Formats: sequence, C-alpha cells, structure tokens
Amino acid sequence: MKSIRKFDAVPKLNGSWKFLDDYSYQGMIFGQLLYSTCHHGIIKDIKFPAGFDLQEFTFVSAKDIPGENIVPEPECDQPFMAEKEVFHYGQVIMGITHSNLRILREFIKKTGVEFEELPAVTDIKECLDNEKNAFGKELTIDHRNGQKVDPTWIYHHKIYYTPHQEQAYLETQGMIAIWKPAEKMMFVRGTAQCPFFVKSGVESIMGKAAEKVEFETSEGIGGAFGGKEDFPSLLAGITALLSYKSGKPVKTVLDRSDDIKITTKRHPSRIEIKSWTDPKSKKIRKIDIDYRLDAGGYQTLSPVVLSRGVLHAIGGYDIPDSFIRGRLMRSNTPSNGAFRGFGAPQAFAAIEAHVENIAADLKIDPLEFRLVNLLRKDAEFPTTQLISEDHLYDCLQRVIEKSDYQKKVKEFKKWNETHKDKKGIGLAIGYHGGGYTGNGEKVLNSEIKVIIRQDAMVEIYVSSTDMGQGAHTTLAQMFFETIDHPREKCRVQLPNTSKTPNSGPTVASRTIYIIGNLLHDLALEIKAELGFENLEEYVASHQTEFPQEFRRNFIPDPSVQFDEETYQGTGYKDYSWAACVTEIYYHADTYKVELTKNWSVLDIGKLANPKIAVGQAEGGIVQGLGYGLCEFFYKPGFGRMHGFTDYTLPTSIDIPEMDIEFIHTDSEIAKGLGEIPMDFPAPSVRNAVLFALGIQINEYPMTPERIFKSLTADER
Amino acid sequence: MKINFLLNKKPVTIDVDPMKRLLDVLREDFQLLGTKESCGEGECGACTVLLDGKPVTSCLVNVIQAEGKEVLTSEGIAEEPLGKLLIDCFDETNAVQCGFCFPGFLVSSYYYLISNGELNLEKIKKALSGNICRCTGYQKIFESVLLACERK
Ligand code: FES
Ligand code: FES
Repeated sequence: MKSIRKFDAVPKLNGSWKFLDDYSYQGMIFGQLLYSTCHHGIIKDIKFPAGFDLQEFTFVSAKDIPGENIVPEPECDQPFMAEKEVFHYGQVIMGITHSNLRILREFIKKTGVEFEELPAVTDIKECLDNEKNAFGKELTIDHRNGQKVDPTWIYHHKIYYTPHQEQAYLETQGMIAIWKPAEKMMFVRGTAQCPFFVKSGVESIMGKAAEKVEFETSEGIGGAFGGKEDFPSLLAGITALLSYKSGKPVKTVLDRSDDIKITTKRHPSRIEIKSWTDPKSKKIRKIDIDYRLDAGGYQTLSPVVLSRGVLHAIGGYDIPDSFIRGRLMRSNTPSNGAFRGFGAPQAFAAIEAHVENIAADLKIDPLEFRLVNLLRKDAEFPTTQLISEDHLYDCLQRVIEKSDYQKKVKEFKKWNETHKDKKGIGLAIGYHGGGYTGNGEKVLNSEIKVIIRQDAMVEIYVSSTDMGQGAHTTLAQMFFETIDHPREKCRVQLPNTSKTPNSGPTVASRTIYIIGNLLHDLALEIKAELGFENLEEYVASHQTEFPQEFRRNFIPDPSVQFDEETYQGTGYKDYSWAACVTEIYYHADTYKVELTKNWSVLDIGKLANPKIAVGQAEGGIVQGLGYGLCEFFYKPGFGRMHGFTDYTLPTSIDIPEMDIEFIHTDSEIAKGLGEIPMDFPAPSVRNAVLFALGIQINEYPMTPERIFKSLTADER
Repeated sequence: MKINFLLNKKPVTIDVDPMKRLLDVLREDFQLLGTKESCGEGECGACTVLLDGKPVTSCLVNVIQAEGKEVLTSEGIAEEPLGKLLIDCFDETNAVQCGFCFPGFLVSSYYYLISNGELNLEKIKKALSGNICRCTGYQKIFESVLLACERK
C-alpha cells in the first residue's frame, strides 16, 4: 500500500482546518467549571465574589440535573458534579457561564468554596502501598502448575513504581452545546475520540428533558491519546446542561492549567514481582505478579485498564508457572483514565526492568537471558492462549542486528572504565493485543456504512475519529485502494452520531485493525455484488441505481473465546510485537541522561500507509521515552501543577535519533499500531541507565534527582 | 485605545484594550484562527507569530507591543513562496498529525529559513526547540525542514 498524502495536512498548516475553539455560533456564551481544590471533604459553602452582577451568569450544579448524575462508564460510579461530598481534587462542583470569557475566569478564580476537610490519600505510594485502599473487582490469572520450588532456584523480589503521565494533547478539552427547545434537541460538538460515548453522557445528564441528542466532532481533534475517551462525556454533559438552562449556545474550553489539574491521566502503578530462576538453565521457572493501579477518586474505566494490564503483565516471557493478581486502588486525586497503552506500558516498565535486574544479579548477558526465556511460537500466555507466530523473536533479532548491540556493549563497557561520564545501552521488548479484550469486539458489533453517489463519490460513515493519527486518510485508503478507485473520490465523513453508524470508539488500536479491515472487506463485497471492474464506469452506466447504501457489521471469529471470570482463553486475536534498543549518554556533572539513539523494530502486519505508520511510531516512541526519562507529576496533590512549565515534555532537543523498521509487512492483515510504540521505550531507557551506572532504579522516570539519590544511597 | 500595525502586510487599526493579548486580538478581532492557544504561558509555541520579523509567543505579548510594528501569522506565511514550499514539504513527508502545533511550527521553520536556512539538523532542532509537538516525535518535522532547506 502507498504512502499517500493526508487529505487534511494543508488546511491544518494554513490555519483553515477548524478545531473546537475555532467554531462560533450566533449568541454563543462561554462556560467554565468550578471544581474542588480539596482532596476529600464536605462542601460547606460557596462564596461568590463581590463586584459582579450575578444576573449575568448561569449556574448549574448537581441539583439542576434533569436526568441522572452519573457519567456512563464501564463502572458507573462517577457523578457529573459533586452533590455534597467531594472525593478528589478537581471534582466538578458547578458549571458557570458568562458572555465574556475573561470576566468568567476571573469570577471563578475569586469564588471561594469552603470545605470540611476529611482524611485523604494524595500520595501515589500512600495509595498503592496500602492494601486497604483496594476497591472494585480484583482480577487474577492463575497459571500455576503446582510444581515445587527447587532450593537451587534464585529468588528475586522487587517492587516497581510508575507515575502519572499526562496525555498533553496540544488542544485542550472543549465542547459546544446548543439546546434547540422547539425540537427538544441537544446538539453537541466537541473534541473527542468516541462520539457515541459523548452522546450517551449527554443523554444521561439530560434524561427525559431532551428527546434527541446529536454529537458531532470538530473538524480537527488536536491530539487525544486516550485523554479524550471519557472526560469529554463529563464536559459535554455539563456544557449541555448550561445551554439548556441559559437557552444559549455554550462553549466550554478548558485552559491548560485546568486541563492538567482535573482531567484523566495514565494510572500510576505499583507492580510487585517475585520470581524464581534456575541458574543452570537460566530459565525463569515461576513468577508471581501483584499489579496495582491508582484509579483516582472513582473507578470509571479503570477496570478495563486493569484487565489489559494483567493480560500484558507477564511480558514477552515463557514462564511455566505464573500467578497474576490485579487490583485498583483508590486515592483522592482525579480519576485516571485511558492513555495510549492502557495498562500495558506499566506492565512492561516493570517486567522489562525485572528481567534486566535478574540478569544483572546473576551476571548473565541481558540479551541472552531474554532469548532463553522468550515467548516463542507455540508457547502459551498465562491465559493458555497459544502464540501462533515467532515475530517477537524476529523483532528482537532484527533490532540487535541493526543496532550492532553486542559490539556496542563491549565498546561502551571499555569506554566507561576510563570516563567519568558514562555511555549506556538498554534493551526492551513489548507487544500489544489489538482491539477490545476477549469477547469485546463481538459485543461491540461495530457497523460501517458506505454511500456511493451518482458521481461515483464514495462516502464512508464510521464513528472512528481522526485525532491526528491519520485515520481518515488511511481508512479511505483501505477502501479505495482495494478496488482501485481514485482517492479524490473517497472521503470519510465527519463523525456525527445521527449520520454515522456505531463502529465503536476510537481506542484500543482498533481503528485500522477492526474498522480498516472491515472497509477492505466491504469494498471487495461491493465489487463482487455489483460485478464491476471499474467503479466509476459502472456508476456512469447504471446511473439510476445510485446513490446506493452499503452496510457491514464486524463478523467475530468463532475461535475467539474468552472467559471473563477465569481469564482463560484468547485475550486478543492478534498481537503486534516490538523490540528496541536505546543508547544514552550520562552526564556525570549534572546527573542528566541524554538519549542519543533509538532503534525500534515492530511487527504490525501489513502497513496501510507506510509514512503514516512511521510517524505514528515515532510519536509514540517519544511519548514512551518521555515516560522513561522525564514525565511525572509533582506530589502530593494536583494543585501545584500549572501547565507545561511544571510538566516536562520532550522537546526537539531532547529526543534521540530514531531508526524505525517494520517487519512482516507482507502479512495479509493490518494489525494494531496506535499503542504498541508506547509500551517498550521507557524500560529501555531505564535499562540503559542500569548498564551505564550499575544501579537498579525501580521507580520511573530517570530524572537527575532520582539518579542522584540512587547513587548517593548506593555509596552509603 | 487605537492601535495601528501591519498585519500580514496590510495596515490595520483596532480600538481595543491595549493589554489584550495579541493572541486574542488575532483570533477574536481578526478571525485569524491559525494561531492557536495551547499553554497560554509561553511554553509550547502553538501561538508563535513573527513580530517585526522575530518569533514571539503571542500569548505573552500585549497588543500594545505591536503598535507601529509588523505582525506576520501562519496565514500570512502560507502566502509567501517560502511558506508554500514549507507547507509542501510538511505535506509530502506526512509530518502533520493532529496539526494543532503546526501553524506554530510553520512560523518557526519559516523564520529559520529566512534567517539561516542552513542544511544543518542540529541548528534546525535548536530553532524549533520552543515549539512542542506531542504527536509526531519531531523526526518528520526535521525531515520536512531539511527538505525545504534543500529545495529553497
Ligand atoms: S500558547 Fe503561547 S506558547 Fe503556548
Ligand atoms: S501534530 Fe499534534 S501536537 Fe504536533
């Protein structure tokens, strides 16, 4: 398949592509949120500042909700707005409007909320270490074989921590709601990745007050990465209610400081691993993994993140005896949510560090140790799913070869003997299950629609959004390339819940893998049904038959069976695989790690658009490197985070040179790509630090402060 | 207060609070929506424009500071030959992802082309270090600017 240009690149560059804040409507006013700055407490009083005319404002709080005060989520435990008690920092208390955004912001800033403070858990470790904080359903994967521990096996017991990670989409969260009283209809436009989630959020808060709810995305979605999966439902609900009450179109766009303080982030994790390794065969014989996530104030979609986390927890290793236990922990910080990788990056951050630690302790070469224990073809996951391909091995072999890993290991060791600064090289592997977990895709039952017009224009209707990943270019391509139709004659339509069928959310690396392959199949079906060689010619000679509509649903593979209780069966039908090597240069004077080079080799099957695929991988790898190197939240509490001045994102001078290669691209199907680039880079940075300095840092990221502390602790 | 300046080569006058941010004046009063707000504190570069030929973050500039000066936004640059060349290079490499940061990158890259333009990766990286992009990992942005340096 070809690297065609994106249809939206030029308008995005010249500023004509509209993002949410670029839309205006007649009579539109502005909305903003008043949220809790207390982590846990009872709301006692809300004091509005003097000097403002309260008549000019519209206020909504929990008591104004005509429908239900519950955000629809996998676990429906989060209210749109707090009633009396707030459970976390950043919990919304009120929505407020004014016609002037600057006045509105000033008003909210000066509004004082009085709380009766209650005990709160605000620190990540305080939350994760204390088992009393566990809530929700516990998950276990039990693949123990009852075998006795041999006294010669070497026991390792370590605990790994990862911090919050902020999605940092450049376009902050935003929604516009327009109430049309005559039709009792609520129209909402917003920057969101899952149109039907937003629709059901608005339906929930409006209840019977609205007879119809329609959601359409903005033309541009300025990045999402999971961050615009569930929070938009909450924001849309409150904005809709503001429009309902004020009778005017309302636009609520968060500023960066609010966005970073109150929206969902990647779950901090604590992963405790116990393992038993046979020193003779160098094989890990037994492993016990306790995987915990800090869910924040409410569970929301965390159970699903937990599920993916435990399913990836064992990493790329074939360990005959395993037990994995997953739990959610409650803290009084904003509910955490989806972020590219969805529980898997935490899993690989821990297991890839653990394997490296064992190799270091046993003085085994980390590559050799990985190869001995690697998950090869015909091995099985703890779920008993058999591995059908040896592509993880192929990725690892290829990355070793192209990075000249073994030679560099020797060179760097030698160089380090005589230098105060150090060079490091680190390995990591990863994989990612494509699509919804287990039977999820069957339940979702995605539907797609195509209309062929009289001028042979093909309109594609799917609820998958293009949030920068190029989905609308690639999806169209998967249709028109299949039947050799000209690209100008095929367009994915802007997702709108009244016009597009529900093809599911734009998450879980499922857009190309599920929807793209579905479009490819539908194209072939239409061709067979109409019996054309050339669609344009066919339409020209059969004018009266058009426009014609075609639909298709996802057809589940009957061999995919998964038991949601025992966690046995096929977790994911197809996996993407990857391996990487990261090279670092450590500056002894500043304790700073500089990333110098990254080689990554991935198998995502067929490439729908090679250049777009490389761009996706590069972006994800940099997010992953940032996760390993510099991204975290200050603790405790969110109040101290103001924006990009406090949250360190990698810039153009922080990133290494990257060399990315895709293998097995001659495969029949396109597998998931969105998330896997995020899964493996962080531990490669960490392992390079271990190589360079000989210290096992089990807490991410590798900041100068942390390295300094670890080094001085080692000296003591 | 009346403020006069040259906006994308045309003289303009506007009666406005002199302390209003240049970013808001561009977006609200002139409907130039290419200039984006992302951080509002000078960290991300999404709001970059050229003020008298030098890149500034328009979220930190009050409109009074533009009095008598020349402001060039991404829309203006898109009309210039070098701007067009850059747009084509960004398009050809499929560098653009969500695109929210790109008008800012266009301005900074354009400034690099007119002020230096040397085919030098390290210099390009430095010239773009005030612009944050969360989607691309920067590599394709460098590739595009290198391509533009070659072709100009
Ligand atoms: S919005 Fe001005 S620098 Fe970020
Ligand atoms: S393309 Fe999305 S932030 Fe740069």
